[in-house]
Amino acid sequence: MRTSRALPFLLLAPALIMIALVQLYPGLYTVFLSTQQSNAGIQSFSGTDNFQVVFDSEAFMESSWHTVTFIVGYIILTMSLGLGLALLLNRKLRLSGAYLALVFIPWVLSDVIVGLVWKLFADPDTGILSPLVSLPIFGLEGSALLTKVPTFRFIDSIPFPPSPAMIYLIFAAVWKALPFITLLLLAAMQTVPKEVLESAQIDGASGRQCFLAITFPLVLPSVVVALFNLILGGMNGVGMVFSLTGGGPGSSTEVLSYLLYTIGFSELDFGRAAALSVFIAAINLTLITLALRVSRRGSENYA
Amino acid sequence: MSQRRIQFIPNLAMIIICMIMLFPVFATVVISFKQQSDVARNPPLLFPCDTLETDFSLPACRFFLEGYERIFEFKDNAAALFGWEATGPIISRYMPNSLVYAVASSFFITIFAGMAGFSFSRFVFKGRQFLQVSILALTGIPLLTNLIALYQMTVSVRRLIVPTIERVAASQQFSEATTKFLTDSLDRAILIAVYTGLLMPFSIWIVKSFFDAIPRDLEEAAVIDGCTPFQALLRVVAPLAAPGLLSAFLLSFVNIWNEFLTNYLLVGTTKQNLRSVMVAVYDLTGANLINYQVLAAACVLVMVPVIVLFLLTRKVFFSAMVEGAVKG
Repeated sequence: MRTSRALPFLLLAPALIMIALVQLYPGLYTVFLSTQQSNAGIQSFSGTDNFQVVFDSEAFMESSWHTVTFIVGYIILTMSLGLGLALLLNRKLRLSGAYLALVFIPWVLSDVIVGLVWKLFADPDTGILSPLVSLPIFGLEGSALLTKVPTFRFIDSIPFPPSPAMIYLIFAAVWKALPFITLLLLAAMQTVPKEVLESAQIDGASGRQCFLAITFPLVLPSVVVALFNLILGGMNGVGMVFSLTGGGPGSSTEVLSYLLYTIGFSELDFGRAAALSVFIAAINLTLITLALRVSRRGSENYA
Repeated sequence: MSQRRIQFIPNLAMIIICMIMLFPVFATVVISFKQQSDVARNPPLLFPCDTLETDFSLPACRFFLEGYERIFEFKDNAAALFGWEATGPIISRYMPNSLVYAVASSFFITIFAGMAGFSFSRFVFKGRQFLQVSILALTGIPLLTNLIALYQMTVSVRRLIVPTIERVAASQQFSEATTKFLTDSLDRAILIAVYTGLLMPFSIWIVKSFFDAIPRDLEEAAVIDGCTPFQALLRVVAPLAAPGLLSAFLLSFVNIWNEFLTNYLLVGTTKQNLRSVMVAVYDLTGANLINYQVLAAACVLVMVPVIVLFLLTRKVFFSAMVEGAVKG
């Protein structure tokens, strides 16, 4: 590598200036805002008041549980389906490339449009899913997929089981994220050396043994990367909630990022919104750090 | 023979999976071609092809362009290119808006991220590691958080610059339209700058990983043969890095085309004529809740550009996605 004084910084300058203006300054400003309270237009320092108000609120607890429900369902479905799909595509079918391209289409669509379209399908009268949804096994009278508020809870303070709208939201999100996860896992599987698999087969290993003992450990770092991508997307994605359920029915699909939107831009309480942002950002940063550490360790082991 | 049998089942499975994955898109397209009476059917019917006797007969299919006509609103206009023009705001105003935002921002992103990615990939300097990690860490800030501050920053920038524009306009006796164009341009520039900054970290990451894959010996050889480092960059590295730059451009384009919240919060309510097409389509749901064929037609119209773009460039897309996710 060459060494130079000014040139690398000159090359970096435009990008860094844009990032500083649009990401760094707003980020720091939010931290500042989280310690301020606004009273009749006058801002004053309020310490950790905003954080206390947010953390003590019932909406925060409910949204946290909704977020957990969403992310757990989203991850389990996306990961298992993605792994299966990647295994299928990895069999070097003649049309694998074409299949992957077709399967990938949902991923390039906009969150908001996906939400709108899925909402269209769920219309209780005219939506094309309503005949399916009104089947007795779903227990949704009048096919009220997006309007039925759950009344039963296992534990009073925990919104579980989730509302039908939440389950539908998870399906929509899985549909959109599945292609990306499949692509990641497939790319990792294709780096597994063929000779190793062949020699294992010659030695008498079954397909399942090959997968468990060779493919899976080699793919594991990518699985972890995919996992963190999913969690980050689930923590921060708000577009689909926005257009599909609007947080409802009741507040049953109000995840943390949507709560942030409500506090910040409906209630216009920037101090509390900033406090919640700082909390979400802290979780994100922890996840990113962990992901980096795991993917580094992964590439050290297998590279 | 047995080889074929083995291939048959996975192929069949893949075809079924493709059909399931594409069904929502397909169904939207079908709905967009229905007429009002078929859209409002209860119980619903996927294909508007029933007769009194049977549920489905191909000759009985009733497909209409009503949804699209309501979006396009064609009017005769002798001065226009084909003798007619589309006057629907989604086509005539909001799609061009989105196109301008996406192309301009992606252009700046590609150039700036290209320079930054090259710098990170090729130079050793103080703070290199720190800058890389910080840029990555900044992506952990939720978009909504940035938008709270960006909204207030936009208001201050307007307050600072709009009076100047108005003063100049008054002294130069600009027409009202020119003045409005200038103030709108300010907001467009703000939006483009915001998009550029938001997507910059991810793009730097992708471009850097592409640069990392180009052997350094090539440039060094060029320098030994008499190129300046800058010439080596332009003549030797840039052509090799073209796929990386292209993928940064494409991913940014698709992201900005699909982006909703930034536009919705920064100009969606205050400056309606600057809305992006996503905000405009979302707004249709408030306006005509019953006319699903119109909504579906609008959704199809905004989906088609990205789907076509993706299918044409999928190789570049895929490599960038994998690079960006695994290394980033």
